[in-house]
Amino acid sequence: MSIATQQLSLADLSTGQHGVIQGCQAQGALKLKLLNMGFIPGTQVTMIRNAPLRDPIEIGIQNYLLTLRRSEARLIKVTSHD
Amino acid sequence: MINVALAGQPNCGKSTIFNMLSGVKQHVANYPGVTVDKMSAQVKHNDDSYQIVDLPGTYSFSMFSLEEQVAKTFLLDEETDVIVNVVDASNLRRNLYLTFQLLELGKPMVLVLNMMDIAAKRKISIDMERLATLLNVQVVQATASQQVGKAEIMAAIATARKQEDAALFKINYHQFEPYIAKIEEQITLQSTIARRWLAIKALEGDALIIEKTGIKQQLIDEFNDEIHHRYDLDIDQGFARLRYDNADILFHECVKEQRSAQENLTNKVDRIVLNHWLAFPVLGAIIYLIYQLAIVAGYQLTNYTWPILAAVKNWIVSWLPQAQFIDVPPITDFVVWMVNSTIALLNYVPIFFILFALIAILEDVGYMPRMAFILDRLFKRYGLHGQSTLPLVLGGALVGGCAVPGVMATKGIADERARLATILTVPYMNCMAKVPFYTLLLGAFFPTQMTLMMFYISTVTLFIALSVARLITATFLANRETAPFIMELPAYHLPTVKGVLLSAMQRVWLYIKKVVTIVLAVAVVLFVLLQYPGIPDQSMSQLRLSAEKALSDFDHKAQKTAHYQRVDEQQEVFALINLYDQYKAQRMLTSTKEAVASLDQAFLAANPELFPLVRPEDGDAKKINKEVRKLSKVSKKIRMEMKNEKISSSFLGMFGRALEPVSQYCGFDWRINVAFLSSFAARESAVATLGSIYEKGQQDQRAENALASDGAYTPLHAVAMLIFMILTPPCIATMVVVKLQSDSYGWMAFAIIFPISLGLICSVLFFTMATQLGWSGEEMMRYFYLSAAAIAIGLGVSNRKKPEWSVSE
Repeated sequence: MSIATQQLSLADLSTGQHGVIQGCQAQGALKLKLLNMGFIPGTQVTMIRNAPLRDPIEIGIQNYLLTLRRSEARLIKVTSHD
Repeated sequence: MINVALAGQPNCGKSTIFNMLSGVKQHVANYPGVTVDKMSAQVKHNDDSYQIVDLPGTYSFSMFSLEEQVAKTFLLDEETDVIVNVVDASNLRRNLYLTFQLLELGKPMVLVLNMMDIAAKRKISIDMERLATLLNVQVVQATASQQVGKAEIMAAIATARKQEDAALFKINYHQFEPYIAKIEEQITLQSTIARRWLAIKALEGDALIIEKTGIKQQLIDEFNDEIHHRYDLDIDQGFARLRYDNADILFHECVKEQRSAQENLTNKVDRIVLNHWLAFPVLGAIIYLIYQLAIVAGYQLTNYTWPILAAVKNWIVSWLPQAQFIDVPPITDFVVWMVNSTIALLNYVPIFFILFALIAILEDVGYMPRMAFILDRLFKRYGLHGQSTLPLVLGGALVGGCAVPGVMATKGIADERARLATILTVPYMNCMAKVPFYTLLLGAFFPTQMTLMMFYISTVTLFIALSVARLITATFLANRETAPFIMELPAYHLPTVKGVLLSAMQRVWLYIKKVVTIVLAVAVVLFVLLQYPGIPDQSMSQLRLSAEKALSDFDHKAQKTAHYQRVDEQQEVFALINLYDQYKAQRMLTSTKEAVASLDQAFLAANPELFPLVRPEDGDAKKINKEVRKLSKVSKKIRMEMKNEKISSSFLGMFGRALEPVSQYCGFDWRINVAFLSSFAARESAVATLGSIYEKGQQDQRAENALASDGAYTPLHAVAMLIFMILTPPCIATMVVVKLQSDSYGWMAFAIIFPISLGLICSVLFFTMATQLGWSGEEMMRYFYLSAAAIAIGLGVSNRKKPEWSVSE
């Protein structure tokens, strides 16, 4: 069994998959907002589900549920152990 | 007066705490300069009075949305004496992020652990003493949904107020400390806010604080570069991480959580409500339920409230100077007009109350953000936002609502472009007051196809609104700031009865205050425009002639009866007619035999001379009664003719005629123009005006039948009117809130002119096509519907390009 660490964006996680935040490519107010909501490197995130129309996505972070669009989720880099 | 500010993150149950502390003595106002609701209440506790303000929920001290800006500026205000920080006990770790920053302000503070019941259910135990010691703050438990904790919170506030020189709470910000110290030295501003807090925020690059403290931006930039260079650290990321780390440490020190294997409720419900296949059916079912309960059941409820309003109206009218046959005193005319306008609006209160209560339940339960989650993608296509859902639902998506609360509900949308687009599209939704107008026209021209036509009307609005949103976001609003969709999905909660009722009452009160006052002001203007300059002398003298003839006929016949002395003077005849009308009006509201008997007695006691002629018992009295009935009819007919003459020669009538050269292309004559013009005040006026123009004194004929048999109009005219009404601008009240929420007269003007032009173009286009191609009314409506649907779908599909968000730095 090979354990590979993949570098992904938050939007790439599949339902139920866990990831660890590596960094955030957002700038300005969006970056600050994401930080305030708990998107800090080292934090664990879980993909919970897609919206019925596939966008936005629902994730679990810092012990609560958060929804965001895929366009923003793509800015957040995560690693995942498969 | 002690000023208390209630602060906390969204979904921490802050409002339930506020409701618990304040009871029903709440005041809703706006924060200065912005349209965010400011909820405040005065509370007495041990001879001291407290002014408690419920701040909008905020995750941090950022200024992401209007509401966060409001919360921040309010807390920076010098006046706040005590801060009450409400936190969700079941979600302590994240809530502490804000708590730290509030503590750093250095003001007396109380920490309220709310929702202790949920924490207990999830087997979370919190060591309160340890928490209080570590944070150096009073910690109080509460379960506001069950009214637990009020006395303790008030006592803690009273204590906090007295402790003046508590040691300042400090987080060790490690590498940042020397820089914080250096900035602190530079701050000369005298303030009740801790200098350290100002220094931290300045270092974080908070523009508002930098400006307030007068620190040079250059210095901050220098520090920024230095930190970046020396530690390879981002300042904002560094602070956020340290706060979360400290929250984590504190959490592990004070909280014991037994990981329950059992899946929690929120998870279970979301599996169904947000399920790939079930989400839309569930959403549809909820909207249908709202429709059934608020609109259908609410309408039935108005059957019970209407007699009350009518009785109030009769009571008011009974105090007014009475008519002298055909001459109605102007004051009576005016008051009746105003009372009619008012009760037409108040008639909707039961419907609104149920609607707002249901929406409050959905908000409290936590379904609203989920609705936004489900629909965001669809709305995004048209330049709107997931959060546009609530305003559109309130405005009457599918079921009927009111644009006023809808437009007001846009304040929570962080995305500026979507917020403006929502403000400008909500007025296209199904205004509840348009329904009587629709039913009037449909009843007259489409009695057999009513359901189908109503379906067209109620669903076409959504297509139109989406198309308009797409058009304006792609053009006029193209350069507006947009913001990403980042929203917490709160855990499901059971709403409290008190909270729901309070929220519904507040919204209804707002409706009454804003709508009724504005509409009444406009009603005055309309009254003047419809009354003056008045009937031309020539027609007036003709009407007088026929009135006098009717009177002399009556006199002639009455002479032959035994009761002549009771009616031998004209004043007596007038009084008799008025008595007859009054009795008839009251008799209509009375149903049981006993009630009728007591009504008769009351009337007889008040009018011993004349009442026997109204309720005749002997043959002669019956003869007179028959004549009175005739006379009453004649007077109504003449008064109606006078009214029509008056409208026809009024300023509004002239204006309606002046519009005929344009409006003729969609089949509108001056009478329809007048009806539409008067609908600006409130839609109800359109029906009233149209109804009164067509009544023509035929008492036994309903307005529907009068319209249909008039012969001037065909079903095509009716559809042209319907199309125009679907698109036409909102009433004055909505315009005023559009101005308030968009903070611009320009947008208000746009919100008036754009729909009128669109409505005119569409009705001309479809009216011309229908007459040229020989369509039936239903076909005309169907093609209009299909075109709107095609345009909306086309616009949505064409917007495949990924919209780029952009946020100013």
